[in-house]
Amino acid sequence: MGISDVIPLPVAVDKELEKWTIWGRPLTDVWFTTTEKIHEIIEMGPIKNVLNWGRKNSLWFLMQPMGCCGVEMLVFGCPHYDCDRFGIFPRATPRQVDVMIISGYITRKYLPAIKNLWEEIPEPKWVMAIGECAISGGPFYDSYNIINDTSKFFPIDVFVPGCPPRPEKFIEGFRELQEKIKRREDKRGY
Amino acid sequence: MTTANDVLAALQSAFPGVIEEAKVGPERQLWATIKPDRIVDVCKYLRDNHSFDHYTGAVGVDKIDEGLFEVTEMLASHGAHQVVALLKVKTKRDGPSVKSLTGLFWNANWYEREIWEMLGINFEGHPELYPLLLPDELVGVWPWRKDFKGYPDYNTAERAIERLTAEGYTEYSIPPTEAEVKAGTVQKERPKYPTFREREEMEIKGESEMILHMGPQHAVVPGPFLLDILVDGERVKKAFLDVGYIHKGIEKILENRTYMQGIPITDRLCYMASLTNNEAYCGAVERLLGIEAPERAQYIRIILEELSRIQSHLLGTAEFLTLIASAVYSPFLYMIIDREDVLTCIESVTGARINHSFVRFGGVRNDLPDGFKDMTLDTLKMIREKTEEYKELFLSDSIYRKRMEGVGVLSPHDARRLGVSGPPLRASDTPYDMRREDPYLLYKDLDFDVITRKEGDSKARVEVRLDEIFESCYIIEQCLDQIPSGPIMAEGIPKKIKPEPGEAYYRVEDHRGEMGFFVVSDGSDKPVKVKARGPVYAYMQALPPLLEGVYIADVVAIAGSMDACTSEVDR
Repeated sequence: MGISDVIPLPVAVDKELEKWTIWGRPLTDVWFTTTEKIHEIIEMGPIKNVLNWGRKNSLWFLMQPMGCCGVEMLVFGCPHYDCDRFGIFPRATPRQVDVMIISGYITRKYLPAIKNLWEEIPEPKWVMAIGECAISGGPFYDSYNIINDTSKFFPIDVFVPGCPPRPEKFIEGFRELQEKIKRREDKRGY
Repeated sequence: MTTANDVLAALQSAFPGVIEEAKVGPERQLWATIKPDRIVDVCKYLRDNHSFDHYTGAVGVDKIDEGLFEVTEMLASHGAHQVVALLKVKTKRDGPSVKSLTGLFWNANWYEREIWEMLGINFEGHPELYPLLLPDELVGVWPWRKDFKGYPDYNTAERAIERLTAEGYTEYSIPPTEAEVKAGTVQKERPKYPTFREREEMEIKGESEMILHMGPQHAVVPGPFLLDILVDGERVKKAFLDVGYIHKGIEKILENRTYMQGIPITDRLCYMASLTNNEAYCGAVERLLGIEAPERAQYIRIILEELSRIQSHLLGTAEFLTLIASAVYSPFLYMIIDREDVLTCIESVTGARINHSFVRFGGVRNDLPDGFKDMTLDTLKMIREKTEEYKELFLSDSIYRKRMEGVGVLSPHDARRLGVSGPPLRASDTPYDMRREDPYLLYKDLDFDVITRKEGDSKARVEVRLDEIFESCYIIEQCLDQIPSGPIMAEGIPKKIKPEPGEAYYRVEDHRGEMGFFVVSDGSDKPVKVKARGPVYAYMQALPPLLEGVYIADVVAIAGSMDACTSEVDR
């Protein structure tokens, strides 16, 4: 992008400006940058670590009970286990969350709906599969209506086994996710 | 007092030649095979003359060896007597059709729809034979038939096709493979019916009306289900309910497990009530085997089931309070803390927090640990104090009362007609409790009150739950005093269970209402058919008529006060 695209200048002035440099780089590059360029700079630099530090310490999750694990998810968000101390907090709407928990069996009928939920969550976002049903179908592995392999549809970062896993296990899963974000090893690469 | 023999004698004199075979089972059960063309008359006669006003459900059994389908209609009474009539109707396997009972019993609607979509039995005279639980692509496959070839289906996910809709959403469909088409496990042609979306859009009459979607994921729902309300201004004109989002096919899975392997599956039927589900399933199989649990085992079962009732009522009330207003968010958090203490008591015996798999055929898995009595008595004392506090905290709160009083009123007549049971029925001034009505285990020896309320509104339903916590505490205290020492398993039960051919129906009082298991055996180690008749299925069916004419804001207050559990509805 040249300066003359933004400010109407005589061509001669424009040509002259393109020769100017600042810190060894063309002036136009530094003055007129785009979001993508900022992203690239952030991706490369250590500033990303600061952002991820913030992200990993405020993982709000979607309160979307689907099965037995949904009950444990409810309890996980409550005082006895107190997920709030890790910055993890339940929310009821996908617009306000960072993490979606697949807490049960995905059926043929529910797959489109849960996919919509996933797409409604603003970036950055992560997804966890909690419980045997979400991982492999669990006790219902041979049902005619269950999607066995959830990871075909969602970029799942953390699998938490158990039928259902105890709330302590939820904490462990979230700690694992936080470590992954910190090390930049999550599936979507934030 | 009416007995099953009286009813049978009356039926035989009123309908000579119609009853093909009949027997009187244990526990006041009347089993009869009725000629298919007279089933409606027989049911009408029983309803009008012998007060069989409680339609409990219907079971479809595929008897592939005999080339028959059997539909069993289950009728009971709301307190007039304790007879359960199980009336069988047989129909040919090709072109199966039986007469619908929707004209007699309003709540026969869903039970018959379910049998139609799962087994393909047509119900003559049914007003809306649309799929209920299955997704559209599975309708016409009849998955619960014994010759259904799509079971087990391992590779569903690998076949999914992704496509982008015009709105920019990703959609998935799972097309049938060639092999499936050849084997006939997928539909050749979808039965003609309007979809759920088309049916609700047909109801829009004026410019001022619109449809408001709540769900499948919504803050108010305890699991995924779709509640669509047709609103005109602030008023709900009609409500539509779409369930089946987490339909797992539990009944099909139970048919493919041995009896023992079925117990963990019944846990997951409704995770809040896994002990009573175990109890209902094991009780039905015990009746097939003709055994009874020893006294100590029965006491242990009662103690744990009542503890489980306390935790379920605490969580049900807690969830409900978060739904209606954030002003009462604190009791929610307090109740969850108290519930943890109750769970600790249960966990010390069963080793699990929610899915216990604890009850066995003819007993229980293990004995009570040392120190259980003291720990439980302490917990119960705390629960009583806290529950008193909660009642003071929000039941006497003027804002709460204004929000809840007179909302979603269910009159006693309507409650019986719609077929609800459990706390919503007892809140409508009907003292109908299985523990008192059809006493199972040792409940007949125990002293407790059946809690009722006269109002029938949302507030009454919550009050009934909270008061039942006190009754449960009282029952547990009695049990802990009376419990004898002795064995916890009946003797002589083989490891591999093969009951005699036959059927059994056993019903218990779930935390939410009447829970029944219907088990059919053919002498092998796997059941032919297991039907779970759940209470929440009945509530959910009653929800749309209850929501008609209320304000939008009250929808949550009414739906929440029912304390639903989607997992049990969908099964």
